[in-house]
Amino acid sequence: MKKLIALLLALVMVFALVACASSETKTEEPKTETPAAETPAAEEPAAEEPAAEEPAAEDGTLYIPVMAKGFQHQFWQAVKAGSEAAAADYGVEIYFDGPASETEINAQVDMVKKEMAKNPQAMALAALSTESVTEILEECAEKNIPVIGFDSGVPDDTTGAVKATACTNNEAAAAIAADKFAENETLAAKMAAATSDAPIIIACLSQDAVSASVTGRTTGFVNRMAELAEQVQPGKVSIEGHAKWEKKVDDAAIIIRVEISATTEATAVQTAANALLQLDNLAAVFCSNEGAVTGFLAAVSDGEDLADGGKYEDLVVAGFDAGAAQKNAVRQGWFYGSVTQDPYQIGYKAVELAVKAANGEEVSDVDTGAQWYDASNIDDDMIALLVYD
Amino acid sequence: MAETILRMYGIQKYFPGVHALDNAQLEVREGEVMALIGENGAGKSTLMKILTGVYTKDEGTIELFGEKVEIHGPHDAQSKGISIVHQELNLMQDLTVAENIFIGREPMKGIFVDKAEQNRMTDELLQSLHLNISAKTQVKRLTVAKQQMVEIAKALSFNNTKVLIMDEPSAALTESEIEDLFTFIRRLKATGVGIVYISHRMDELKQITDRITVMRDGQYVDTVDTATTTIDQVVQMMVGRVIYEEPKTQSSVPADAPVVLEAEHLVSDDVKDVSFQLRKGEILGFAGLMGAGRTETARLVCGADKRESGTIRVGGREVNIRSPRDAVEAGIGYLSEDRKRYGLCLGLSVADNTAMASLDKLSGPVFVNDRKITEEAKKHAEAVRTKTPSVRTLVRSLSGGNQQKVVLSKWLLRDCDILIFDEPTRGIDVGAKSEIYKLMNQLAAEGKSIIMISSELPELLRMSDRVIVMCEGRVTGELDIAEATQEKIMTYATKREVG
Amino acid sequence: MKMEKIGSKKIDLQKLLAPAVLILLYIVFAIFGNKFFTLDTFKNILEASYYIGFMAFGVTFIIITGGIDLSLGTVMMCASLLGAYVFKVHNWPLILALALTIFVGVGFGFINGTLVARLKLPPFIATLGTQMMSMGLGSIITKVQSQTWPTATAEVGAWFKKVFIRADLFGIKGFPVGAFWLFGFFIIAALILHKTKFGRYTYAIGSNEEAARLSGINVDSWKVAVYTLSGFFIGMAGIFYAAAYTTITPGTGNGLEMNGITGVIIGGTSMSGGSGTMVGTLIGVFIMSVLKTGLSACGLQAPWQTFLTGAVVIGAVLLDKARTNAANRVKKV
Repeated sequence: MKKLIALLLALVMVFALVACASSETKTEEPKTETPAAETPAAEEPAAEEPAAEEPAAEDGTLYIPVMAKGFQHQFWQAVKAGSEAAAADYGVEIYFDGPASETEINAQVDMVKKEMAKNPQAMALAALSTESVTEILEECAEKNIPVIGFDSGVPDDTTGAVKATACTNNEAAAAIAADKFAENETLAAKMAAATSDAPIIIACLSQDAVSASVTGRTTGFVNRMAELAEQVQPGKVSIEGHAKWEKKVDDAAIIIRVEISATTEATAVQTAANALLQLDNLAAVFCSNEGAVTGFLAAVSDGEDLADGGKYEDLVVAGFDAGAAQKNAVRQGWFYGSVTQDPYQIGYKAVELAVKAANGEEVSDVDTGAQWYDASNIDDDMIALLVYD
Repeated sequence: MAETILRMYGIQKYFPGVHALDNAQLEVREGEVMALIGENGAGKSTLMKILTGVYTKDEGTIELFGEKVEIHGPHDAQSKGISIVHQELNLMQDLTVAENIFIGREPMKGIFVDKAEQNRMTDELLQSLHLNISAKTQVKRLTVAKQQMVEIAKALSFNNTKVLIMDEPSAALTESEIEDLFTFIRRLKATGVGIVYISHRMDELKQITDRITVMRDGQYVDTVDTATTTIDQVVQMMVGRVIYEEPKTQSSVPADAPVVLEAEHLVSDDVKDVSFQLRKGEILGFAGLMGAGRTETARLVCGADKRESGTIRVGGREVNIRSPRDAVEAGIGYLSEDRKRYGLCLGLSVADNTAMASLDKLSGPVFVNDRKITEEAKKHAEAVRTKTPSVRTLVRSLSGGNQQKVVLSKWLLRDCDILIFDEPTRGIDVGAKSEIYKLMNQLAAEGKSIIMISSELPELLRMSDRVIVMCEGRVTGELDIAEATQEKIMTYATKREVG
Repeated sequence: MKMEKIGSKKIDLQKLLAPAVLILLYIVFAIFGNKFFTLDTFKNILEASYYIGFMAFGVTFIIITGGIDLSLGTVMMCASLLGAYVFKVHNWPLILALALTIFVGVGFGFINGTLVARLKLPPFIATLGTQMMSMGLGSIITKVQSQTWPTATAEVGAWFKKVFIRADLFGIKGFPVGAFWLFGFFIIAALILHKTKFGRYTYAIGSNEEAARLSGINVDSWKVAVYTLSGFFIGMAGIFYAAAYTTITPGTGNGLEMNGITGVIIGGTSMSGGSGTMVGTLIGVFIMSVLKTGLSACGLQAPWQTFLTGAVVIGAVLLDKARTNAANRVKKV
């Protein structure tokens, strides 16, 4: 018995060591040129300040952690691919990591702190919460470690550590969906025909009201949709469903409903989607990210209910982002269409900006763009590049 | 002379820091009941664990029918014809007799258990043992004695059992149930099985065993024929000295001694209108069969169970006992028959257990006074002669008798003047028993008042000043020690209605 | 019985096992990890341990009584969330917000205690219920909005971070002041557990509840007190979670209780109650933190850290079992 336990413990220990040693060699490889150059920097963080740019300039192997908001969605895999491509192009070493889910603020903070302890020359960061990383950003500002935001970036940074952000303008991107809704003939007809007695509902399904990208999209969509609806039914547009966006109008003919899921888990989003589908007169739904799309598709039998002859065949649905399920829904014509950012570009630009900033160049924000895609253009070369699986 | 089935000799066993068995030996013949006795810690269980393959011996020889054998584990022991019936019942209460007997080796029909066959085999087995039990009965519906017999039947159901070890089979049984058990054992003997019988009850040895092997301190002392030996001689061999106190012939309590505890018309589910009085310095015996309501009455008095009605007066003043806390405040301490369950925190030290009921007075405003606790625990351990390496030793590692003394110390430290001893000597060996008796007498002489519940009539007759007899939740008789005899007590104990 | 004196040194060695493992782990990671042996990393280990430590201190009492608290994580989040909510939305003074945080912890502790001791619910069920209730409550009150505590540069309440997590002290920039709190409350918790009547009863109840009751101990009341005290520590955990992570998201926290419970178990406290020490818990918590940080310094991502932490839990319990078995065998003869 005792031997068994000793053996087991030893195994765990050895296993841990082997794992360490193997990954160690992996990470060490690219910096074999001058590993010694970094050690003094590690031991004397105080001396880092003036010297920060020198080792970077000299040996060229920058170490740049890329801290994402998650691994959950395929979106992040595309970002990772982009950042790795940039790392290869610029000959830098990156470490891409993110928490298991987008509510794990604590996991991300721990992760970023651990990377800070490795004294990186620059950092790319998609913060789950700006307040939670404020102290870390201050430290970066102090040590002259440039931070590059990507995706939703680091909104409202006050420390000056964030030099630039590579991102989609979420509000503008989501407004595309609202524009497309207004162009849709069926929906336009319904909007025109709606009265206070028979109002129609246009919904926005979002997985949370916390992350800046999702709230930005929600705001962008809701505002533009309200603006467009106002042109059709002046004074009869009501925004309901969540305190943050609420603008209630009595006797509305067009109701813009914001539905926020209780948590970001797929099942919770599905519950929220089901709640929407219960509503009479639901005319259109905009799902503000891949998570919302996944949850929504789960609520409509993976999209089949939206097909001709399905339960919700008249519903006009638009998505955001991509992913295999969403792409399928668009290709089949179940979705009216979707907006996509360019995750590959986000990852690529983030690392590119980080490298430039680390080398002391001036950097500024980069809009990585957004596109509308539907069944007609999804397989075009231009779009196929943007929509990840 | 009958053939020798089993012979163990020169057995040595070492545990870290302890020489547990030193040259132990044992011999069992065909159709014989061999008693194996000794005080707790004498090495009986260690020797039996070696025989049943739980431990491996360090040195020595085991012979079965004259052939040297090595026993590699419990399963091997069973296949060699050595079975054991443990003191604690190991039956699953919700399963039937048949399911219990064949658990783990059920007769199968395809992937299903062949219940019909299993029941048939069980009935056949039970009949061959002249046991009037149905294979389909749920075990929990059987009396403890019957359950014990099912255990034995289970042990015998393994093919060719040649040696059967019975570890205190009578511990949980009443007098009449023991009689049943003995009849059963005699029948077993006739089939040629050799039986090793471990017990602490001296009177039983005379009745049922053929020879007695005595062990002391891990060593073999002697083997004697039961017929030609007196109990005193055996006890002397066990403890290495002469003990035994003279039985009481008359009450040592003066007639005008004040009443310290008075219970009137106590009623609960199992107690039906019980009243009694306890005087200062008195040892009041409670006799009765199992289930007569003695323990239940005691639990009402010490607040462990809720009573439906009735009054309790301590020192003439009525006290409303609603919880054990109230009883303890009133100076009533209860020493349960099952001290491991109700008396002690086995994982805590002697000192912590001793102080448990008295922490209020051993604490400062914030912290407990550990120095004082140690001091008091030492003082009381010395007063009741608890054998323990130190008061920081965990109670778990003490013998039964010493554990009992720790519970006693707890109540003495709490200044309890009324002590209820429920089966105080159950599972305690002879030497420790006489220690407990001595202590009880000493406490009574010092003015403490004692209620003693016991199923051993000789013990009651030896200790009590007065005996109350209960049957089916009622008091059926009260006897002064001068007039009490075993016969009288048994008459009252089996009397259904109060006359 | 011939009992030779067993060398007391042997037992002491066994007690030193857990600290030895901790130091060994630290050394191993210092050698193999990428910049593991630095002040920054040490600070990270400390800061990730504060809230887990407070949770573990609290639940140590509960586990020693033979109970369990599954609501640790969500109650901590709920407390922290509501504290931030009244501070940010209702502009309560920070000190009152902190008091509310502790009060929420104490309140849920009291509810748990009442459910377990007075209404006789199994602790597992009772705290599973409050786990969900606390998670829901936080979301209901905050309308599923995440809440933030003041940052070090905030206009109001910037002292929050300086008091609880990092301050410029003793000429050191970013001195981990939280460590003072952690060790201070460790000493308080240890004193309560080992030196007061409360602690003695905690052990007695866990070792044998019925025997404790029959000894005149008011078991039910003490159990309520144990859960309530644990609630206080969970409230403290909420403050330190806030200090370390600032933003609190509603609907989170389940799963975090396992961090606390795991620390207690690695520290050698038996789940069946009646045994365990506070210092064991402290070491258990640090073993986990060092393991997580160290594995990350070796370039292993979160799933590996979780996997290996699990292996360590099993190893620790097996080791503890072997240790007690050995101890019992020596004594039992």
